[in-house]
Amino acid sequence: MEASSASSSSSSVTFYDFLDRMRNPASLDLVRSIKSFIVSFSFYAANPDNDAKKVQEFFTTMEDTIRDHPIWAGATDEEVDSAMEGLEKYVMTKLFYRTFASSPGDIKLDLEISEKIQLLQTFLKPEHLDIPSVLRNDASWLLAEKELQKISAFKAPREKLLCIINCCKVINNLLLNAAMSENHVLAGADDFLPVLIYVTIKANPPQLHSNLKFIQLYRRQAKLVSEAAFYFTNLVSAKTFIVDLNAKSLSIDEIEFEESMQAARETNKLIPEEFFTTQEVMTTSQGQIDPGASARVHHKETNAGGSNYPYMEAEAGDLTVRDVERLLSLYKDVVTKYTTLCKAVKSFPPTKTESSLPHLEGSSILSTKPEENTENTRE
Amino acid sequence: MGCSSSLPDRSSGRLVGTNSENGGAPDAKNIRVKLVLLGDSGVGKSCIVLRFVRGQFDPTSKVTVGASFLSQTIALQDSTTVKFEIWDTAGQERYAALAPLYYRGAAVAVVVYDITSPDSFAKAQYWVKELQKHGSPDIIMALVGNKADLHEKREVSVQDGIECAEKNGMFFIETSAKTADNINQLFEEIAKRLPRPTTS
Ligand SMILES: Nc1nc2c(ncn2[C@@H]2O[C@H](COP(=O)(O)OP(=O)(O)O)[C@@H](O)[C@H]2O)c(=O)[nH]1
Ligand SMILES: [Mg+2]
Repeated sequence: MEASSASSSSSSVTFYDFLDRMRNPASLDLVRSIKSFIVSFSFYAANPDNDAKKVQEFFTTMEDTIRDHPIWAGATDEEVDSAMEGLEKYVMTKLFYRTFASSPGDIKLDLEISEKIQLLQTFLKPEHLDIPSVLRNDASWLLAEKELQKISAFKAPREKLLCIINCCKVINNLLLNAAMSENHVLAGADDFLPVLIYVTIKANPPQLHSNLKFIQLYRRQAKLVSEAAFYFTNLVSAKTFIVDLNAKSLSIDEIEFEESMQAARETNKLIPEEFFTTQEVMTTSQGQIDPGASARVHHKETNAGGSNYPYMEAEAGDLTVRDVERLLSLYKDVVTKYTTLCKAVKSFPPTKTESSLPHLEGSSILSTKPEENTENTRE
Repeated sequence: MGCSSSLPDRSSGRLVGTNSENGGAPDAKNIRVKLVLLGDSGVGKSCIVLRFVRGQFDPTSKVTVGASFLSQTIALQDSTTVKFEIWDTAGQERYAALAPLYYRGAAVAVVVYDITSPDSFAKAQYWVKELQKHGSPDIIMALVGNKADLHEKREVSVQDGIECAEKNGMFFIETSAKTADNINQLFEEIAKRLPRPTTS
């Protein structure tokens, strides 16, 4: 029905069109407004509620300005809307580091949610949420998970929101197929929400809380309505369910739940040592006749004073598939910690009067390419 | 069996057939309304919506069946159109605490019970109380006793429904999604109660 409402053609085309128009000398006044708006943020400390209010007001003002602007003369509502999408993306990409996961509280919540999901992943089954077996479809679920996991690959609120919508559409299709082929009587939200919750747990989407908060605050308000708002709300709902989840939230024996959580916690704690020991075992079991590699790894490990960087001197050729899995999870861990650190460092007042927004010199404001214009063919 | 029972529908011809997809900004003549459905699983929420919405779709199409978000536009006599955006909520107990996320910002809450189930009526009363406490003060609330076709199994009297509704300033109606009885009326009555944006 409203499937198309959130997907206005190809987003990158729209965005380049926006940038093109901005390069037009006739839009110098617009460029100035945008520039000074973005600069105005560097004078104040980040404050999510205030920032969001300012951004939303700016969007509203700019929409009127664009509508009345000579270079958009005679533009249809759709064209103005495209311009606004471009503006949202541009502004929010520029303000991203200030506005996304900007408080220690957000970062903490993200980590807590992600850790809780990690524990749940070790034992949670569809039946714990009473998901009927006709709705269990690993392929569709995987697809939905993938959509959700993409959420941090984008900076623009619209594109993040699209990841959620796409995920939900995959689930809807799955429900529909079950209805057609299995004669499952569809139960609306009674079917949809449990599957979304399960998919969310399987996906453990990065920075779930911060992504939701960012969309809520910075997606143009006129666009977070209707079906988009419905799916968004459902993911907020899934997140809330997960945060509050205890044995009583599930169809599971209370003792079994506690034991499973405890076991998962202990396994998680063990991971660091396990990294090292299994790495060694794997190397030998693979018949690698290079004891040196193993020894080097060991050496490095001791050098690092007990911290866990077992791969520092490993060669690409030594890695097994399981090593790659571990590396990936270590990588994510490092990135999270690094981002947290950067944030912390940034929140100190700058000592030198260097520009924290290097792209603001002259008209180069619009010459920077959008960071994440990956040609994802988003519908 | 789902909600499929053969029935003449669309008697009034007041339903706007096409799906207004333009998404244009709502104005005085075109009102967009967020409507949230609350009630136990099994009381007939999905069937009510389906009965209401189906007119705009090919009746053999399964596309709309069981969707958790549906919209339907109706035209009122004064040529105002009202687009209902209907949000289904999960009825299972374990999700009850999430309901405020859904009814926040809703213009209308429709609380449904099954007239053959006192439990579902008790649950409806719970939702009404919740809405009084946490809903937006100007939310329009409707109390719906569904499955009115099952009179021989009735366990909740019409009077009980009326009383509960009156006490809480709600609009009350008994419906049958099976026979389509009062389904359009439900939505028309809601539409009438919507605050109109002032034109001039
Ligand atoms: N007799 C009768 N059965 C109904 C009516 N409405 C729904 N049902 C049946 O009640 C069951 C649950 O309906 P459903 O719409 O899925 O309930 P929901 O969980 O509240 O969405 C289905 O088996 C329907 O066929 C009605 O008005 N009359
Ligand atoms: Mg239902």
